[in-house]
Amino acid sequence: MKKTKLQDRVALFLFVLIFLPILFLLVKSFNQDTESLLYLFKNLLFDYSVNTLYLVLITSFFSLLIGIIPAWYVSNYRFVGRRIIDLILYLPLAIPTYIMAFTYSELLSYTGPFKITYDFLHIEVLGIILSFSLYPYIYSVSRISFSLFGSRYYDMAKNLGLNAYQTILKVVIPLSRPAILSGLFLVVMEVLNEYGAVKYFGVNTYTIGIFRSWNSMNDSGAAIQLSSILLFIVAFLFFIEKYLNKNKRFSFSKNTQLSSLIKPKSSVKFLIYVICLIPIILAFLTPVLFNLINIFSSYDDINFERLLNLTFNSFTVSLIASVLILIVSTFFLYNEKMSKSRVYYYINQFISLGYSIPGAVIALSVIIFITGIDNLYDSFSILGSFSIYFTILIYAYIIRFMAVGKSPIKSSMEKYPDSYNNSAKNLGLSNFKIFQKVYFPINKYAFFTAFTLVFVDIMKELPITLILRPFNFDTLATQTYEFAIEEMIPLSSIYSSVIIIICCILLIFLKMFLDKSNVFRN
Amino acid sequence: MRKCIILFFSILIFFSCDKKNSNEINIYSKRHYQVDTEQYKNFERLTGIKVNFIKAGDDELLERLKNEGKNSPADLYVTVDAGKLQKGVEMGLFQQIKSDIIDNNVSNDLKDINGYWIPITYRARLLVYSNDRVNPSELSTYENLSDAKWKGRILVRSSSNAYNQALMSSLYANLGEKAVTEWSSKVVSNFARDPKGNDRDQVKAIAAGQGDIAIVNSYYIGLLLSSEKQADVDAANSVSVFFPNQGDDERGAHINISGFAMTKNAPNKENAIKLLEYLTGEEAQNTYMNNSYEYPANPRVKPSKIVQSWGEFKRDSLDLNALGLFREEAIKVFDNTGWK
Repeated sequence: MKKTKLQDRVALFLFVLIFLPILFLLVKSFNQDTESLLYLFKNLLFDYSVNTLYLVLITSFFSLLIGIIPAWYVSNYRFVGRRIIDLILYLPLAIPTYIMAFTYSELLSYTGPFKITYDFLHIEVLGIILSFSLYPYIYSVSRISFSLFGSRYYDMAKNLGLNAYQTILKVVIPLSRPAILSGLFLVVMEVLNEYGAVKYFGVNTYTIGIFRSWNSMNDSGAAIQLSSILLFIVAFLFFIEKYLNKNKRFSFSKNTQLSSLIKPKSSVKFLIYVICLIPIILAFLTPVLFNLINIFSSYDDINFERLLNLTFNSFTVSLIASVLILIVSTFFLYNEKMSKSRVYYYINQFISLGYSIPGAVIALSVIIFITGIDNLYDSFSILGSFSIYFTILIYAYIIRFMAVGKSPIKSSMEKYPDSYNNSAKNLGLSNFKIFQKVYFPINKYAFFTAFTLVFVDIMKELPITLILRPFNFDTLATQTYEFAIEEMIPLSSIYSSVIIIICCILLIFLKMFLDKSNVFRN
Repeated sequence: MRKCIILFFSILIFFSCDKKNSNEINIYSKRHYQVDTEQYKNFERLTGIKVNFIKAGDDELLERLKNEGKNSPADLYVTVDAGKLQKGVEMGLFQQIKSDIIDNNVSNDLKDINGYWIPITYRARLLVYSNDRVNPSELSTYENLSDAKWKGRILVRSSSNAYNQALMSSLYANLGEKAVTEWSSKVVSNFARDPKGNDRDQVKAIAAGQGDIAIVNSYYIGLLLSSEKQADVDAANSVSVFFPNQGDDERGAHINISGFAMTKNAPNKENAIKLLEYLTGEEAQNTYMNNSYEYPANPRVKPSKIVQSWGEFKRDSLDLNALGLFREEAIKVFDNTGWK
């Protein structure tokens, strides 16, 4: 019998480790009582599903609107302030949805600065607020995609008599569809997972249903079943999307020369500024200024020692988890590339599924899994120590955010033809050497992108951290949340601002790094 | 593969070596108020016993306790709803607490008749009304909220909220299924808007003229009145507090407690009892009252000035375990009557 390679064994072990809690969840959902589930199906689920769908549609629509249009102008037109506008358009990614929701709830409230008597707690308002912090997912992928078009596409569109808007609708968007869909996928996942803001707005979504069965009907089993159903729906959509895009991969860069930036007429220039400044003002400057003003008003109450301590905690967990996610996802993707085995292909699909499960349910399945192992031996327990809980927390982050780290690396690796590794193999290089000499250098931008996205997501993460953290362990996100739900928004502002600042710095680094790589034309 | 598994377990064993310090207490806490941290620090200063805590959702923590089983490091579980404490008892997670000091510290009618949990503070879920648009003589009981005169005037948060669930459970226990279902559907038809926001938002909505009366927890009014923001204070001053069901033949206003339970296998049982004795004692109860607008579980201690200004009131004498026992039925009433 052929001996399995070391890397295959390691891969199997890692796969089992990452997928087992999810598998536990699925298995458990089959041997649960179905009474609550049937009750939910009969009474609430239709309503909840309609709300969810509507919220997803509103958020997606606005995210596409304020993501694609500015990306189009920034990618194709030359105007004063273009680089700085481009940079700021990414930054709302640094603002967690709950901070965005708290900010606008306060601003739009009757006791806010504008004394608004109108009841703003509507699903449409919520959708728009969510799109403020989620549109950068669309913007970033559109930017890359639009920048890679060759001028031949535009020339051809022009020759066919299409005007600018027809070109966008008939040429650009269809060509960018795979990229935009991958960004939209992240937006939809985030909306499905949203809990705090939807509860506050009184919008009963599917996730509210999961927590209703768990918290109100005392049935964690039904919560597990509902999560499993969600998982299947998402997996189904995921595979449909994969299938539809199977034959639609483009290697833009090979087609033609990149077109040069257009100098707009002054009327167009005005339009560009308006279109780009709307998301900048509403999604970035407003929440940032709101937080800064709050910090000044509560400056005397700031405990700097605690702030430093929590910043260190947030930074540490984010750093460790992001590095591990980077290593593991690269390992799997690289193995898929080198071995061309379908097994690796499926492994890579499966380990992304964690992203579709609400954080609190991931936490629950990790608890069930770990304590299940712990209870195997009566006389010995691993529970109770700081480091074991710390490890469990990191473990849960890895399960949840693997998809976020994987996707940029995957799309980057796919861009390069297999002829690279064939030539390298012919030169007698080992797999590790090929990675070191070929894949690492050509994909380094993707690695840094993956690292930044995961890091930012974990800095903002709340439900997993709340439930799985060790004793006396707070992060910037948990502290922000604790003050904010008590409506002590001014006190929470310093902690949320540090999250925003750290994430912004990383995103700015990333942008500068990518600019250097000429991913975007400048 | 075997090597990997051995390595994995060796790492786990290595990690598990840094635990166990006997002079400590581990708490799973739903409460996340600043005053709690202060209380634990005071206790540590007094006794040298270190208090560790994790703050998260109450159901999540119950689930964590259940799965950790007898290996759980937790000694105490604290939450803001007797219903959740009853749920934990039903799940077999807690043990009875016996201490004469605690017994002597806590009002008799607030105690758990089975001795599993200890109240430290309590709050009333009461009515607030617009000073401009409602005459207090129009108000009487929770039951009266179903009257057609309140059409388009009642504000309340969603049925996903535990405080509303506890109130509905108490009404279910007191009135029975038929009466409470009828009541709920009439109240829903009187809503000024779909349920949303938190308790404070209901008060603000009265101030903004979106409705006339709201069902809220007592301490939120105190928090608004003591806010540093003038707009909050103005909003709170535009309403007044009303305790329902206070008539001689009526049962009193619905209350709920913040309370502790001791886990079944608490590794630091004696320390945990010491902490509960401290928290129900006069010094700590006064600290709670100075930092929040709840009512004290210890009858020898007075609530804050703001709370005292609302006057004394009669508490519903219902066994608080009913708030958990009837929770599922309460949810069904919400769902069947369209209370979102």
